[in-house]
Amino acid sequence: METNFVLFQPTLVTQFRALAAIVRKDWKQYWRYPLNAVSTVLQPVIWLAPVYFMGKAFSINGQALGFAQYSGTSDYMSFLILGAVLGNFVNAVFWGMGYALKNDMDAGVMESNWLTPVPRLLILIGRSLTNLSVTAVTSFGMLIVCRFVFGFHPTGDVLKAVMAIIPMLIGLYGFGFAFAGLVLIMREANTLVDMSAFLVQVFSGADFPVTILPKWLLPIALILPLTYGLDAARGLLLKTNTLLSIGTEVILLVVFMFVMLWLGSWIFYRVERRVRMLGTLGQH
Amino acid sequence: MTTQTIPLTRSLGRPNFLSGWRALWAVIKREWVIFLRYPSWFISLFIWPIIFPLSYVMTARALSGKDGIGMAQFQAATGLHDYTGYIAIGTIIWMWQNVVLWNIGFSLRNEQLRGTLESNWLSPTWRFSYLLGSSVPQLISMLMFLTVSAIEFVLVFGVQFQGSLWLTLLVLLAAIPSVYGLGFAFASLVITAKEANAFVFLVRGLVMIFCGITFPVSILPDWMRPIANWLPQTYIIHAIRSSSLSTDGFPAIAGDLKILAIFGIFWLTFGYLVFNWMEHRARRTGAIGQY
Repeated sequence: METNFVLFQPTLVTQFRALAAIVRKDWKQYWRYPLNAVSTVLQPVIWLAPVYFMGKAFSINGQALGFAQYSGTSDYMSFLILGAVLGNFVNAVFWGMGYALKNDMDAGVMESNWLTPVPRLLILIGRSLTNLSVTAVTSFGMLIVCRFVFGFHPTGDVLKAVMAIIPMLIGLYGFGFAFAGLVLIMREANTLVDMSAFLVQVFSGADFPVTILPKWLLPIALILPLTYGLDAARGLLLKTNTLLSIGTEVILLVVFMFVMLWLGSWIFYRVERRVRMLGTLGQH
Repeated sequence: MTTQTIPLTRSLGRPNFLSGWRALWAVIKREWVIFLRYPSWFISLFIWPIIFPLSYVMTARALSGKDGIGMAQFQAATGLHDYTGYIAIGTIIWMWQNVVLWNIGFSLRNEQLRGTLESNWLSPTWRFSYLLGSSVPQLISMLMFLTVSAIEFVLVFGVQFQGSLWLTLLVLLAAIPSVYGLGFAFASLVITAKEANAFVFLVRGLVMIFCGITFPVSILPDWMRPIANWLPQTYIIHAIRSSSLSTDGFPAIAGDLKILAIFGIFWLTFGYLVFNWMEHRARRTGAIGQY
């Protein structure tokens, strides 16, 4: 008997069901190891501790006056805590997104997932949604802990700041698609992931105002869209000095979002095609 | 054909001092080959000593202010005017301990995951050689890392090491038993607890918070200072800063060296005892082959 049709009928509804299944699976898997969540909340607090005490060594009567000369605020801890939140998302994209497919490879389910009639980008979108939600929840927990341990005093409009960083986060996850493709072809990329995540955080000004970078390093910070996202969020929440007007920074972030979503998915499809041609999808 | 059964009253293996050394040498050689086979460490060797202290150095630069208003406070608290060298040394010691915890701490666990631990355990060798042998290539790579770091600090950050190289080497020598003794104890706990990433985060977090990697311990609140005094890394960081950045000479580090010697004896003994305990426990419960 000859068949000239395929058995599956992918529709919008089936794709949505697949997306929901991926989100549910990742969400369940993450919370099955609650220590991970505790670690995600507490790790940034530990990383902030040396800077907190270092700030005290530089402060005059409890005021970081030197820091205020560069940033416009002497509340250096709130400045750094916002940087740590961004750091959470950067790490989530680099380790969670970049390594999502690698983990599937290690678990031996990559090839079988790839054979399902689900668009491959949808698999990544599903994983991004869980990743984004989990990071938002743990970052909120981190903010609460930081408020009690170090003091976190946002004085500006929280809603506006959240609206400003949404395009940045979507763009960041678009970048995650490209990065996932890169890990797919490199397979063993711990060093690359570790260093890239760290460098992006350093140069986007998570730990200091980028204006203090030497002139030869400053261009690196200025070509990273995250620099503007973080700068706008700090400007709106802490009333710090911003590099450009906040409106201009938000426009840049929206442009970044569209460019990264397109570029990220394009790179991912190109790499994925190459990996299929090489037949290395199931290899470690 | 007839078969003859010979009753064995003793093991066919004849472990002695020399065979112990041969086993240790074999483990060292194997670990060295594995180390060289994955050359990504080469990138880490050159990049991490710059990028890890960089964020702290830049934050310190921002805290000191455009006109250096915060620097006077820092000088009064530390007695040093070079915050770059101060931070670079603190962070590099933290990185050393961090790498030891991951590499030595997880050496037996990795063998367990590869499925070779149980078969190695059955051979008539000195079992501690598996752990000791893993440490030797790691120690060599860390000495390379510390050397490259010092050169890069001078070239990239402009750190001026005004102290004595020999005193700095003496402090490093005194630090090795504490750092690696903790690694040995840790490796034994990891083999028992299996998924122990959280322990690494805890121990390195303690070092990060209490040992003054970027600040003088005197800044800590009163209740935190006694905890810092019980951690050997506090003395390692202080002694290396004194020996390499200042010209105060041996008297400035004599107290630290004495304490490090006591910590070294304690941690090496503790590491060995915990290993023996784990070994007996694992054989009794059959935990060696479990994931």
